Amino acid sequence: MLTGVFSYLVFFACIVLILGILTLGLNLQWGFTGLFNAGIVGFYAIGAYTHAILTAAPQPQYLGNFGLPWLVGIVAAMAATAFAAWLIGLLTIRLRGDYLAIATFGIAVSIQLVALNWEPLTGGSQGLSRIPKPLAGVFDTPLSFNLWFLCLLAALVAAVYAALERILRSPWGRVLKAIREDETAAVALGKSARGFRLEAFVLGSTLMGLAGALYVSFIGFVSPFDFLPILTFQVWAMLIAGGSGNNRGALIGALLVWTIWSASGIAVTKLVPPSHAAQGAAIQVILIGLLLILVLLYRPRGLIGEAAVVSRHADD
Amino acid sequence: MHVTIRIAVALASGLLAFGEAAAQAACPVKIGGVLPLTGSMAPITKKIAQSAELAIEHINQGGGVKGCPVQFILRDDQGQPTVGVDAAKYLVEVERVPAFTGTISSGVTGPIIASVTAPSKVVQITCCSTASPFTLDGRSGGYFFRTIPTSKTQAYATASETTKRGLKKTAIIYVNTDFGTDMLRFYKAAVGKLGGEVAIEVPYNDNQPSYRAEVSKALAAKPESLLLIGFPKDAVTIVREWLSLGGTKNIALNNSMRTMDFVNGVGAKFVEDFFGMDNAQVAGPHVDAFNKAFEDKFKTDSKGPGVHTQYDALMVMALAMNIAKDLTGPSIKDAVRRVHVAGGAPVGTGPAEYKKALELIRAGKPIKYFGATGPIEFDANGDVTGPALVWKVKDGQIVTDRVITIEEMQALFKRIEN
Repeated sequence: MLTGVFSYLVFFACIVLILGILTLGLNLQWGFTGLFNAGIVGFYAIGAYTHAILTAAPQPQYLGNFGLPWLVGIVAAMAATAFAAWLIGLLTIRLRGDYLAIATFGIAVSIQLVALNWEPLTGGSQGLSRIPKPLAGVFDTPLSFNLWFLCLLAALVAAVYAALERILRSPWGRVLKAIREDETAAVALGKSARGFRLEAFVLGSTLMGLAGALYVSFIGFVSPFDFLPILTFQVWAMLIAGGSGNNRGALIGALLVWTIWSASGIAVTKLVPPSHAAQGAAIQVILIGLLLILVLLYRPRGLIGEAAVVSRHADD
Repeated sequence: MHVTIRIAVALASGLLAFGEAAAQAACPVKIGGVLPLTGSMAPITKKIAQSAELAIEHINQGGGVKGCPVQFILRDDQGQPTVGVDAAKYLVEVERVPAFTGTISSGVTGPIIASVTAPSKVVQITCCSTASPFTLDGRSGGYFFRTIPTSKTQAYATASETTKRGLKKTAIIYVNTDFGTDMLRFYKAAVGKLGGEVAIEVPYNDNQPSYRAEVSKALAAKPESLLLIGFPKDAVTIVREWLSLGGTKNIALNNSMRTMDFVNGVGAKFVEDFFGMDNAQVAGPHVDAFNKAFEDKFKTDSKGPGVHTQYDALMVMALAMNIAKDLTGPSIKDAVRRVHVAGGAPVGTGPAEYKKALELIRAGKPIKYFGATGPIEFDANGDVTGPALVWKVKDGQIVTDRVITIEEMQALFKRIEN
């Protein structure tokens, strides 16, 4: 029983960390730069499919499935997502607020449809399977593999977190905040708002691509159903509930929202008799909405809001 | 000191003994379920969940599993893969279910097989996911079964019927979805073995105003017959253009066209030479018993996708758990293949029949389960076959030309796949 709970928690933590990387990516775009990206799932999909197509075991009916090493898949997934984000960014980055949201949302839906229809490459609605899990031969039980993958994810998240903290405290990060707060003022100071916005967009999207690649190599299967718009909404909920503009808030938000999602399901099976499971499931959805609203009512800036930044010279 | 050690040893052995006892017969026995109770699939899931509830009720009334009552733990996957995988992982790790049923959308079933069922060696039986690779490419390690016939049954039957009619060279126009591509693939595999050939394959996308380009392309290959795989609205357009451009009237159709909308859309006088396929509804006392039990309990008819197959998924699971020597995934997996044994005593649906089955199992006798969808016999991949029917149009009405029984179908499968 206890090993079961432990095993489940390890699995759960892996999913949270993958979602955490997504949320960190969005935080860079929205929390620090003010880019309303509503197409998170599109970049996540590009990373996921690039990794799957490069690393999956060869099968005659598919063009891809090159069976390349895991690391190649991860690096290529990030590169492909960065390139796609750069192209999309060139076209859309000058759009403000809700216009950018609509454009990116549409692009994400298009990417999902391409995945659904480009069957020789993506497997279409049947999906791609037999995506190798890294070092699955060494860690051959589900628990040992998940534990190893958890360590890997923890190390990656720590590295991403440290790198983001570092660059956001650099002059580059301060320009992003300046653009978010008052773009006209930033431009008046001689900063190229468009260039900085594009950089933040590409960097954030690259993290989303990394999350996608990690997700498919953890699960071992990918299909277009993994990339429905609901995921974009979930990641937004994570960032807002955790604290936009704060990287620790983004990670805590991922943990909080995914816990609400999962624990409400467990609670419903414990409290509602099986004969009313259908009604119970509806209660679960209401519960999720209610908890998110409560978080926002009591913590309007998220659990950990953005820390106030005061100049070192303020006391002088 | 010695006393402490002795107490420790006693405690440890006590715990061990307890652990073993728990593995042998922990009552109640848990069975898991993952279904999209909310989300876009929710309207059809309602009856499927009711059917599952009915199956659990019958299992418990008929004696449960290994002397224990069964507790059914049903989780919602919301039609979202991550949610479904999380629910399945919870059932397997925390609730320790050795087997579970689910789910409906292939996009959710796929990741569950890859990340939960196969690595953890847990039996999964679905009522509804038909994506063909799940059972075919070995990814499930043999732990995945489904009680719904895939499009293979229909495709094989169509290939058999076209070759039987002496139509050697067939053009295929098919809708570009997983259903269409699956049908095409299985038809091609079968028709090659049965001595026919495919002249040309032309995919089409649905909801277009005209299909002249597709039809012309297919006609250019000069086929003796046409196989049209798709849905009625577009099929009417395609057939009209096909006939007006001088195409043959030997047209084979899939199950979706077995509707008067299609017949009237094309015009009844043109369709006399057409023939189509469909899965035949199995008839018999075991099917009627299920339908009646469902109607009595829920005051609604049992028609709808997945209702019958979900009942069978759980009945097969519970019977297999009784046959298995212990309640571990590998034992149950092997036992699933012993719920329908040639020469076994026939057992049907409902609590009384289930009870009879348990007595036979206890006496060490083989059983042969006839479920709400007919005889449930899994092939090497974990798929079932079903009977099919050939239909045609006579005097403006859709009539059954002949029925391909499940025995004929199984013989056909052997001929094509060996």
